Amino acid sequence: MKLTSRQILFFLAAIAPLGKMVIMPARLAAICRNDLLWPVLAQVLVQAALVFCVLLLARRERTLYALVRDAAGSVCAKICVLVLSAFLLFAALLPVIEQKLLVRSIFYDTIPAYLVFTPFFLFSAYLCSRPLVSLGRMWDILAPLSLVGLAGILLLSVGSADYGALSPAGAAGAPAFAGGTGAACGWFFDAALLLPLIGRFSYTKGLAWKGALCYLAGGGVLLFLIATFYGIFSEIAVIQAHAIARMSGFFAGMTVLGRIDYLFIFAATFALTFYVIFPLHGTVGMLTESFGGKKQLPFLLSAAVNLVMLVVIYLLNFRTSQTVEWVTGRLFWIFPVFSVLLPLLLLLIFGRRPHEKNS
Amino acid sequence: MVKKEISGKRDADLEALKELLPAQDILTFFFEDAAKRQYVCIFADALTDKDLLAEQALRPLSGYDGAPQAECIAQHVLSPEVRTQKNVKELAGEVLAGNPVLLWEGADAGLIVGTKKVAVRAVAEPPTDVAIKGPREGFIEDVKTNTSLVRRRLKTGELMIEMLTVGRRSATSVALCWLEGTCRKDIVEAIRSKLKKIDIDAVPDSSYLTRFLSDRPYSLVKQVGTTEKPDIFCAKLAEGRAGILVDGSPIALTLPYLLAEDFQSSEDYFVPAYRATFTRLLRLFALITAIYLPAFYVAAQLFKLQLLPVKLLLTIAGSIRDIPLSPSLEMLLVLLVLEVLNEASIRMPKYVGMALSVVGALVLGETAVSAGFVSTPAIIIVAFSGIGLYAVPNLIEETSVLRLAMLLAAGSVGTYGILLVSALCLVVIASTENFGVPVGAPFAPFVGRDLRDTFVKYNLLSLKERPETLRSPNKRRLK
Repeated sequence: MKLTSRQILFFLAAIAPLGKMVIMPARLAAICRNDLLWPVLAQVLVQAALVFCVLLLARRERTLYALVRDAAGSVCAKICVLVLSAFLLFAALLPVIEQKLLVRSIFYDTIPAYLVFTPFFLFSAYLCSRPLVSLGRMWDILAPLSLVGLAGILLLSVGSADYGALSPAGAAGAPAFAGGTGAACGWFFDAALLLPLIGRFSYTKGLAWKGALCYLAGGGVLLFLIATFYGIFSEIAVIQAHAIARMSGFFAGMTVLGRIDYLFIFAATFALTFYVIFPLHGTVGMLTESFGGKKQLPFLLSAAVNLVMLVVIYLLNFRTSQTVEWVTGRLFWIFPVFSVLLPLLLLLIFGRRPHEKNS
Repeated sequence: MVKKEISGKRDADLEALKELLPAQDILTFFFEDAAKRQYVCIFADALTDKDLLAEQALRPLSGYDGAPQAECIAQHVLSPEVRTQKNVKELAGEVLAGNPVLLWEGADAGLIVGTKKVAVRAVAEPPTDVAIKGPREGFIEDVKTNTSLVRRRLKTGELMIEMLTVGRRSATSVALCWLEGTCRKDIVEAIRSKLKKIDIDAVPDSSYLTRFLSDRPYSLVKQVGTTEKPDIFCAKLAEGRAGILVDGSPIALTLPYLLAEDFQSSEDYFVPAYRATFTRLLRLFALITAIYLPAFYVAAQLFKLQLLPVKLLLTIAGSIRDIPLSPSLEMLLVLLVLEVLNEASIRMPKYVGMALSVVGALVLGETAVSAGFVSTPAIIIVAFSGIGLYAVPNLIEETSVLRLAMLLAAGSVGTYGILLVSALCLVVIASTENFGVPVGAPFAPFVGRDLRDTFVKYNLLSLKERPETLRSPNKRRLK
């Protein structure tokens, strides 16, 4: 059973922006100070164009593995899938670390035993073994939940924000913009996330345009949230990791109502959990297709992928900030290779439909 | 070895039948007709209306002197329900169902006379799903009465009622009902096929069939709808579902099932839409609170005190200061006491049950608090949770387990555990399908038009089409 185009649009508009709202705003504030919106804007525009390209690729209604296999043989297709899976596994590292930090920050008063994050991998292993249609149906539920969460956080935050802190625009200069754009690559790889989905949903007319527009809409919300975040914290934004959990804490009514912002933070975190698992699901899905055959394979692959991630996360448990620094600072170039160059290359090779080639 | 067909020799046929029916309550009665032909009537003692049998069959036949063929004799029996049957096993089945069988010398088939007498209770208001405004009839244990209640509400030739027999030993009558042209044929065919494949010795209640009709019989997610009310049953048939009535059970089954159905009550359709919307949202709120409140209370105490407003936190801190148990153990204990009280009060005789409620609520609760075993907030939370769970009575089995799972997750991992268990539940619901229809629809997958009759109830005039999720061949219900 395939995904529906609506589910893809829901993901792009409401779930994809969530992954950029935890550590990224503080990290960009450290690099670009008040100009942190420009790298985000650049990344959103580039990724929207690439989402357009990937969705155009989906017109062939063949999976990535099938496309490469038909063009270059199954060995080449398997290598491609393995490389892309390895990238998705690597790309999942940052969101999983962010999720772990966010969970520690918002769900516990004191730092809990690090084993409390282990159930996440059990759940992830279960979800990764489920067919894509289950994840698609979850997006149907998560999209409104995410929007409610973000709307609530923004409503409680805007009153405390001084948007004047964002001016004067361009004060940080071009090097800060370049550095910020490079660092943001670690969070903007949505075009690559869509690659495992091609061929697994029916392309409907105008989907590429709709997808790009939905991504831009989600990007707009992200920009507004980051602007509000910087408007609230200004110079001290650099030490405010977990933006979505921090920025709504200054709402005046909380003295009477209690921390009602937690309701919205929980909603956003709930949706974020599924965003974090999505790259792992993509990895399992692609590997299952390329090495498919046995019914138990998705379960085994899912267990293996999540076990690898669990081990990596616990090995890096006391080097979290260095890992974030390392992924977004030194290894940032890996992301554009898979989320910019690969989609463009694939579009160049497989972009035209067979009948278009003949004509 | 039992002969398969009637031989025409009365004593040999009787012996063959008695071999299948050796029980002492299977009686025989011998008599002659005007032509001195020997007859024997075999019937089940408590299931046959003997007066009716004598009036309709024995008296007319005692004056008969015509041909010995079953068809000729049948014409002289004054019952509207007379059939002939050659197969001995089938004849034995009819006797067990309460219909007497006549055999005679030279018979080419046995004669079945429909004088069954079944003790049934009167049609009454069901204890569940009571409507203040609306029909008060409920199904009873007799399948024939139940089909008549359905037929009375749907006076159309499109209403199909197919009788099937399920159960090797119980031979339970099962009525599969649907509206031709409204319910999808593949669904009817799939249900029929599943029912025919059931190989169980007895079916005491319709709930037995739900396991066989579920695609995932071990899942916690409910996959078959249930109702005790004919009006709801008929409304579901009219939406494009199929229904199943089981002899001996007042609970009817409906398929395909959607989880959102259990948040609807029959009264929602008899009151203004705004009121129905309000009560449905109230039910949702009550259910969510019932499941999550004990868990969040424990998680807040153990892991995140900021979840509670300061003043409430101070009040709670004062009341839990001297409690010897940990918050999770305290809550678990109170919840278990509630479950035990609930279970005991349902099974106990009515008047003892009332006394038990007083003992449970006043004596146990009050004393436990004053003795310092449990805190007052824990009692209040469990009480609210206990009441809230009954706002959606059809989901009690699932939600009470879920509440316990949430509590365990909260006690061990905290709020994050609650989040992960909730996520797991949603994924399981979203993945579950029965007869090709997703149980989580119209939310997962999202079907915009069907949202009009979920938590927000639109005016009846706006509900012009049948639910899209059910993919009925006849889409329009209001012109």
